[in-house]
Amino acid sequence: MSKLRALAGVTATVAIALVGWSCEAHRTALAPSTGGPLFHFFVFQCSPLKMTGGGRIDYPPGTAEKNPPASHQYETFGAHVMASGQPDPSGTTCLADKGELEWIDHRPEMELNGHPLNLHATAVTFAELAVDTDCSDGAVHWGGTLRVQNTGQENLQFEVWDCDNGEPGNGHDGFAIRVIQPIDGLGDYAVMCPDPDLPPAEPSCTLTGGNRQFHPTH
Amino acid sequence: MKIDSIRRAVRFVGLVLPLTWTGSALGQMQAGANAQSYGVAVTTATVNQKTPSAVLPVEGTMAVDRASDVTVAGLVTAQDVFAIVTGDATDGSDAVSSATLGTVSILNGLITADGVVAMASSTIENSNAEGSSLANLVVNGTQVDDPAPNTRLDLPGVGYVVLNEQIPTSGGITVNMIHVVMQQPVVGVLGGVTGYRTTGEVIVGSASSSVN
Repeated sequence: MSKLRALAGVTATVAIALVGWSCEAHRTALAPSTGGPLFHFFVFQCSPLKMTGGGRIDYPPGTAEKNPPASHQYETFGAHVMASGQPDPSGTTCLADKGELEWIDHRPEMELNGHPLNLHATAVTFAELAVDTDCSDGAVHWGGTLRVQNTGQENLQFEVWDCDNGEPGNGHDGFAIRVIQPIDGLGDYAVMCPDPDLPPAEPSCTLTGGNRQFHPTH
Repeated sequence: MKIDSIRRAVRFVGLVLPLTWTGSALGQMQAGANAQSYGVAVTTATVNQKTPSAVLPVEGTMAVDRASDVTVAGLVTAQDVFAIVTGDATDGSDAVSSATLGTVSILNGLITADGVVAMASSTIENSNAEGSSLANLVVNGTQVDDPAPNTRLDLPGVGYVVLNEQIPTSGGITVNMIHVVMQQPVVGVLGGVTGYRTTGEVIVGSASSSVN
């Protein structure tokens, strides 16, 4: 009996170690590759999903409070993504079926050619379900390539952290974006609000208007 | 024999017709999401223009329209105007619409602003206009900060304006951030003003969303 117990103990320890090892493996950033995510949430899955909606963020600081309108410190957007849960042949990227992103940064310091920065997705290539966030209804990490409408600069890679955290969307849901390559005239561009006090950390800024709606299937 | 045929026909109609009613009624009750937004709309006796404008497509998820400069009939000028609608028209679970504008001038500067956001959001649970705002709004020479929903101000000689207009709709909401109603007095036979008639409307920054 004690031998059985010992065997069960060893088996459990090995199983826990294996699970821990497999989780840890996802923490490693992927090598940048065209059309794939540059890094993942800590734990992700290729899963059928859809995220729709749009809204407003008042970044910085990206909290639930609106900035004074006259400061023009806000961003507005519309975005959706759909995926069937299929990985690419290498098994490292969850492929997106389709998606769109329209992003406007109204901050005066982000103007290009005298107009608000306007980013327009030309392709949405990956979408992965994030399962280790504090987003109650669903979270998706997705991205692809975009064009800077102000200048015509093309083929910049971007990634989005998309969070449906209940209703209403304002004050609850979150959104964050990072453009991987520098934008001509602006340099590095990201609207992200990482909060180390929120376990697990994820960089979405809180919506001050609008809504993100997660659909587990499509 | 003839009567039997008629009876059968009546029975058939009596059984089948209500089914078609039920079907159409269910069709009308099917979940649906609707979203529409536009930057500027002008309606007068000679002008009927709405630009830029976006409408959520049937079974679609997003639509966008934009314009760097908008001038309508000398009544409105606006810069950097975006209209975006998103949602899921297939399952009718959500709809969000927004219209954003930079510098705006209405009726030759009678009303100005340098940042307009109209935002409407609807889910099964609720609809709201959160995210809407007006920056540096000046009406007839007076600065108006953060007007409450449906604030009405008179515009002498012109009519009136409703600011941050929020109109509940079936399963949703319409938000018009600046809604000017142009009026002319109606003069009675004795020469007195007996009322006013609307001669035109200007709406700047409009967003609608609904889920049914």
